Amino acid sequence: MQTLVYLPIALSVVFGLIVGPVALRLPPQAATWLISVGGLIAAVGSTSSLSLLAFTLVGQNPVLAAQGRWSQSALHHDSPVPAAVAGIALIALAVISVRLLRSLIVRASAMRDAHLLSRSLATGDQELAVLDEAAAQAYAVPGWPGRIVVTSGLLRRLDAGERRAMLAHERSHLAHHHHLHQTAVRLAAAANPSLRQLPALAAWSCERWADEDAALTSPRGTVASALTRAAGADLFASPGVVLAAGAIEVDHRVRALGIPAPRLRRWPLVSVTLVLLVIVAAVGVAMHDTERLFEIAQRAYLATH
Amino acid sequence: MSNRRVSGSLESEVLATLWAADKPLTSAEVAASLGDDLAYNTVQTILTRLHAKGAVHREQAGRAHAYTPVLDDAGLAANRMRALLDKGTDKAAVLSRFLGTLTPEEESTLAGLLKRPKRGAS
Repeated sequence: MQTLVYLPIALSVVFGLIVGPVALRLPPQAATWLISVGGLIAAVGSTSSLSLLAFTLVGQNPVLAAQGRWSQSALHHDSPVPAAVAGIALIALAVISVRLLRSLIVRASAMRDAHLLSRSLATGDQELAVLDEAAAQAYAVPGWPGRIVVTSGLLRRLDAGERRAMLAHERSHLAHHHHLHQTAVRLAAAANPSLRQLPALAAWSCERWADEDAALTSPRGTVASALTRAAGADLFASPGVVLAAGAIEVDHRVRALGIPAPRLRRWPLVSVTLVLLVIVAAVGVAMHDTERLFEIAQRAYLATH
Repeated sequence: MSNRRVSGSLESEVLATLWAADKPLTSAEVAASLGDDLAYNTVQTILTRLHAKGAVHREQAGRAHAYTPVLDDAGLAANRMRALLDKGTDKAAVLSRFLGTLTPEEESTLAGLLKRPKRGAS
């Protein structure tokens, strides 16, 4: 337990450092899944470590010890975790809880806003809702059904091919539930500050994913020109669940469309997956060790009672 | 399932084409604008469906029909409110009187909408 319990925390920092450079070399679909699922594993792993560390101290609480029938002095004596470290872990957990709660509230209210927006559009079973506004905007509103919202100003600015590409881009956001990936990384970032760049990374990879999807049915050049024209207007990037087209580093996305889509390369994916597997294994072993520690304390309790 | 999805996306494209045009379009014009692979009959079917749903307005143009997109109820009401507001000389006064007529529920809806992140935020 002594060193293994710290491993998930250390490796979550490693994951946070390498996931960005690795994601940029992967196809956007793979990159998005790696960022969101990897982020969740790293966050759950580091939080589990903190919980195990903190529990060696919490377990010494007399009320809890009596209820669990373990000896608090044996726990105090045999615990390989210094009380100061366990105390710090406890404080960290309290901070994380507050951050998670705040993140959940922000996310829920963004979902509610999207729902209100979707309902106010009231277009029946139609996929596309057009706002008669001069400003050029396009975004996907997730829900059942999800909707694509576009202003008439943007539609007038694009030619037929560009409109098809823009619609395909927004449709991809809805079809692949990109808002769920973004929810996952926001929660991961709230639970672990070393993952704080994940939301921006996921936003980028989701946009690239939608660009590549649009490029399946439209020429890459048309997708790029739709992006460029839309970006000349005042697009907005919403931090909520609404997924805006463009806005996020349009220049880079246009450049990425200028070359073929990246192929799935094995080594970067394998290296990050290995880091994640070690996190899971280390949490498993540390849990087992903690259980053993408490079993010893229980035996000590039975010997004296 | 996938057929329905394809026709749904075609419907969006036809609607987007009508919105992008500055005049009513006939089926032939929509088909021409969408280009190559789309059969005239397909476009005609989609326009008929959109008309049945009330999403587009249809008028006689010679021997054919010409189509324009229809604003939804909310859009129409918003346009009327906008026009009324633009007619007034003291917009601030009109807005503040208008706010006075809102129920608490309407006020909180408005406050929520104003809170929504708009352009420029990142």
